[in-house]
Amino acid sequence: MKINYRQLSILVFMSFVSLKLLALPSLLYVDSGNMSWLVALVLMIVDALYVFLILDLMKKCEEKNILEFMKKCLGPVLSRVFLAIYILKYALVIANISKGLEFFVVENFYNEFNWLVFILPLMALIGYMTYKGIRNIARVSEMINLAIVIGCLYIAFQSVGSADPTAYIPMFKDGVVPLFESGFKHLSWFGSASFMMLLFGKVDFKEEKKWTMIKYLIFAIVLVQIMYYVFYGIFDNISATHNFCISDISQFSSQESSINELSWLIVALWVVAQAVQLALYSYCMMQAIKFTFNIKNNTIPIIVVMVYVLIWSLVGENTIGLERLFFTPFASIITILAQYVIPLVLYIGFYMQNRRKKIFKSKNFIKNRIEIAPNVSVNKFKMLRGEK
Amino acid sequence: MKKVKSLFTPKKLVIWIAIILLFFTLPTINKPAMSETQAIVTMLCLDKDEDKIKAVVTVLSPGQDKQAKYEVFSATGDTLASTVDSIALSIGKEMGFAQCEIMAIGEKLSEDNIMKTLDYMTRTKKVGTNAILTYFEGDIEEFAKSITTLAMEKSLKLEKIINFDKEYILAQDSNIESFYKGFFSDVSIGIMPKIELTGEQKSNAIEVSSSSGGSSSGGSSSSSGSASSGGSQEGSSGEKKYIVTNGSTVVFKHGKKYYELSPSEVQKVNLFTNSSDKGTLIVEGITDHVYDNAKVVVDILEKDSKIKVSFDGDTPVYSVDVNLIVFIDEVIQDEPTDKFLIRHQDFFTDALVEKLKEKVLSNLNEAVELCKSENMDIINLYKAFNRKQYKNFRAYLERVGIDNYLQGVRFDFNVEINNEY
Repeated sequence: MKINYRQLSILVFMSFVSLKLLALPSLLYVDSGNMSWLVALVLMIVDALYVFLILDLMKKCEEKNILEFMKKCLGPVLSRVFLAIYILKYALVIANISKGLEFFVVENFYNEFNWLVFILPLMALIGYMTYKGIRNIARVSEMINLAIVIGCLYIAFQSVGSADPTAYIPMFKDGVVPLFESGFKHLSWFGSASFMMLLFGKVDFKEEKKWTMIKYLIFAIVLVQIMYYVFYGIFDNISATHNFCISDISQFSSQESSINELSWLIVALWVVAQAVQLALYSYCMMQAIKFTFNIKNNTIPIIVVMVYVLIWSLVGENTIGLERLFFTPFASIITILAQYVIPLVLYIGFYMQNRRKKIFKSKNFIKNRIEIAPNVSVNKFKMLRGEK
Repeated sequence: MKKVKSLFTPKKLVIWIAIILLFFTLPTINKPAMSETQAIVTMLCLDKDEDKIKAVVTVLSPGQDKQAKYEVFSATGDTLASTVDSIALSIGKEMGFAQCEIMAIGEKLSEDNIMKTLDYMTRTKKVGTNAILTYFEGDIEEFAKSITTLAMEKSLKLEKIINFDKEYILAQDSNIESFYKGFFSDVSIGIMPKIELTGEQKSNAIEVSSSSGGSSSGGSSSSSGSASSGGSQEGSSGEKKYIVTNGSTVVFKHGKKYYELSPSEVQKVNLFTNSSDKGTLIVEGITDHVYDNAKVVVDILEKDSKIKVSFDGDTPVYSVDVNLIVFIDEVIQDEPTDKFLIRHQDFFTDALVEKLKEKVLSNLNEAVELCKSENMDIINLYKAFNRKQYKNFRAYLERVGIDNYLQGVRFDFNVEINNEY
């Protein structure tokens, strides 16, 4: 079952927005101060550029899945190594979402509650969504997407009047080096396009509209920046004390009206968005496990992913040490590899392989063979040309 | 795989959902209501009792009838955390601060750095960020009971009074959030409205009897939590008390009480900010073709203060453009003339405007003098220069030092006053 181009754009949009509006703004402020918005903006733009690179690869894969495509371009060993890196990347994202979700629910909804009561049905749901496939996840994203956008804008505009525009100046007070360091430290919160790598062969580009993805990406970046503007504008020098961007902005509103209560519905909706993201990354992790270990059916990888989510959730409040994993160079390097290096290597691999193919298929291939690859036999050249 | 699939047919899914629901619903049936396990704290008052922290909480008890009941409990302890725990232990409920609308800080506590005490509330995120932070003078328990009585008997809630008043008289919002911002700024200034509980009848005072404990049942517990003594709300029966909320504001510097702004000083300082945009101006001795030595009261309907900061050579220049839209509220003249009867008479005369401008300019200058003489930056001058003229201001600070920066600043004022129409 394939998803269409618009559904892919929505998945990209949700992936770009969802994690950025929880703990990230507060964490960024510790290292980047009032320039945190710029760190987020630059990394989101880089992610957006990679969306187009991965899209181009997706179109070139000719219905192949990622393993087949990687094998074709890079060979079987490197393909599996790369896919193993994706397992780590998705595992990090899943851990990040599930821990964030736990803190979000505990801090905003229930002072004391048994996390298992929440996570067990959620896991059943995520497991089911993962099992049903990407189309299911895309359709749910499609359903909640508009509500999420309207909700975010509603919360932002409700409090935008209280935001102090001078909170952003002076710019580059401490130079640019701390911004680079901060960007590297928080890279694991970015790399939002990495999930697309596991959707090779799952997207139908027949109804592709040129501007759809661009519109969604621009809107995602603008939406995040609006929320950051309000967040840093309101909380200013104490931004780091606010754990969750979206809920803390909604709490800040001093409007004493029943309309204000709607904010809580939106905050609650955010939990649903996070759950869908959890399903998306669980699906990708399941696919990556399948391909890496050459498992034919989905059941075992799903069980592995669900057990992983459960273990991560059960470790509960004693995971402070594990949460710091998100800020280690290890997490950043995994993100750099998964989001930035592997797609580029794949792209280069594809073109090199394509170039060779062209040469092999040219009329004077034997002459070319002598010039370019004198050690390759004529028969192998013929085989590569599709000749007997 | 087929076996797994067969477990999730639509009919079986309904059974699964029913099982899951039962699994979560059944254990909940026997659980007590949250109101039985959690105390809904609506007000928290803090003060010092000798060397210990004294906390008094007003707890809302939702009754079965429509009338909710407020109860007041107190405890003392070495830290706020242990004090709050003591109250919880004595009443057998968790302290729930999510609905806490007022945090009142007592006079004695304010002599020391109050952030040491407030840390507990913000660290654990127990109190909502919009809870009003206020300073009070008077006995802590009497204060808490009086405020409770005020709400119960006169339907006057302190938080509503302060929220209404802040548009007119308070220089800034006063909640934990803004106090925190101020405290952690480079100048470490925070402000709070002052609420006074007094035995004297003053103007603007609201009479309230702290002993009218029909609404509140008292209780107190010691910090150890073991010796809790029963209700004491009848302690001062018959004694009349007055609550004064006249707009006085207390300035905290580095967390300690530093200066008390009178209501008129607060009005002057307010001219620098846009957070409160209403107020009143009174000018006297206006004589022209309409007035004859008249006293005119104008209501400020809108206020827009634009602040620009620049450097003239090495001198920082702080320019304020104040634009007021006013409405003539009252004209007092010894002998009102028949001109006052003309409906279309233009009462907004040049002489009145000039007088109003003079008044506003004098208020602005007095506010500046106050800031300079008391060395307290309550007009956010440091913030404005530090953000908009960062490099020049840093150089200026190096020259004069952070304690003297207000003295060398030149102030330029421009006042525009327009009639409502």
